[in-house]
Amino acid sequence: MIDINIILNAVGEHLFLAYSALFISIILAIPLAILSLYNRYLASVLLVLANLVQAIPSFAVVAIVVPLLGIGFKPAIFAIILRIILPLFKNTFTGLKDVDFIYIDSARGIGLNKMEILRHIRFPHAFPAIFAGIKFSAVIANSVAILTSLIGAGGLGELIFEGLTNFNIPKVLTGAIPAMIIAILLDVSFSLIEKRISLEN
Amino acid sequence: MILNVWKTQQLGIKTIEHLSMVFIALLIIIFIGISIGIFLYNRRNLSDVVLNILNVIETIPELVLLVILMPFLGIGFRPTIVASILYSILPVARNTYVGLTQVDQQYLESARAMGLAEKEILWHVRIPLALPLIAAGVRIAIVFTMGVVTLGGLIAAGGLGGPIQTGIHLYDKNIIIITGLWIGILAVMVDSIGSWIEKRLNRRYGYD
Repeated sequence: MIDINIILNAVGEHLFLAYSALFISIILAIPLAILSLYNRYLASVLLVLANLVQAIPSFAVVAIVVPLLGIGFKPAIFAIILRIILPLFKNTFTGLKDVDFIYIDSARGIGLNKMEILRHIRFPHAFPAIFAGIKFSAVIANSVAILTSLIGAGGLGELIFEGLTNFNIPKVLTGAIPAMIIAILLDVSFSLIEKRISLEN
Repeated sequence: MILNVWKTQQLGIKTIEHLSMVFIALLIIIFIGISIGIFLYNRRNLSDVVLNILNVIETIPELVLLVILMPFLGIGFRPTIVASILYSILPVARNTYVGLTQVDQQYLESARAMGLAEKEILWHVRIPLALPLIAAGVRIAIVFTMGVVTLGGLIAAGGLGGPIQTGIHLYDKNIIIITGLWIGILAVMVDSIGSWIEKRLNRRYGYD
């Protein structure tokens, strides 16, 4: 049988890969969304791009990164960011934009400036949408992080691919089952938080 | 360079293989998805449970779903199709269910006033009015299926995933770029066709 430490190690690598990429994407997507709020041109370009890129299979995205950046951990992070940053942007942007005009108008009426409106009106209202985007992206990041093992990023995918090359099904499953459990736990915990957020609002 | 890769990797044949797998999977998905949607419409108390189960399946990474089916279905074509189906049923079933249940009250009332039975209302009023939403679900399913079928190349299902794997193993940048971009273009094209159909249905049956 396969050493439990190997599995735990792979789980650690996998989580680190997926969530550092998610974290970087969130940090990049939110300023992008705020900029787009005041620049219609940037907004429309990014929205069109977001819809197009969504159709492209993750495997193709991971593959195209190889000629650009080579293989290893960093290209893997880059591939995951490429995959999730646009959906994150889209959700954040629509969340911030679709605030009812009444609130913005009354905020202006009591003399708040743009930054204050953003902070006190737009962000609180957009929070459920932003969170839904983060949940969606976390699921995708988890999925792409398995694939990036193919370009040498390690993690649970590596066990799967090693098993596939030797046609060693038990080894494939030692990579696949923890990945599945992580995905389900992820979804359940995010849904719980989501419920709590929607109750508060 | 492009022609060379196209020839050595047989991208033409692989594209046909790829699209036919997507097509077969989609036919089954549409059939099962709409049936589940109608079934849930008839048994609404089951809808939460079934949709939640389908939702959980969808969070599982695509590749993991593929390889977990291997012990039961072997490698190649069959697990790829089954994984595509499992993965893409949710958008079709959910959209069908939502479309059927959220038909505007005014249409239902006029249908009842005309003396249609509930079954006739389902077939002649609810389903036509749900078509735009169902099409939107099918469009999501197309995107998912393209993704899963591409991965099928890793478990010897043929299609365009195979050349990418070859490219990565040989570290042949030309193969990777050309196949990768081709898959991207193909996916965007197929998605645009889906979006066009969705728009047409919306014009025909949409509310506004």
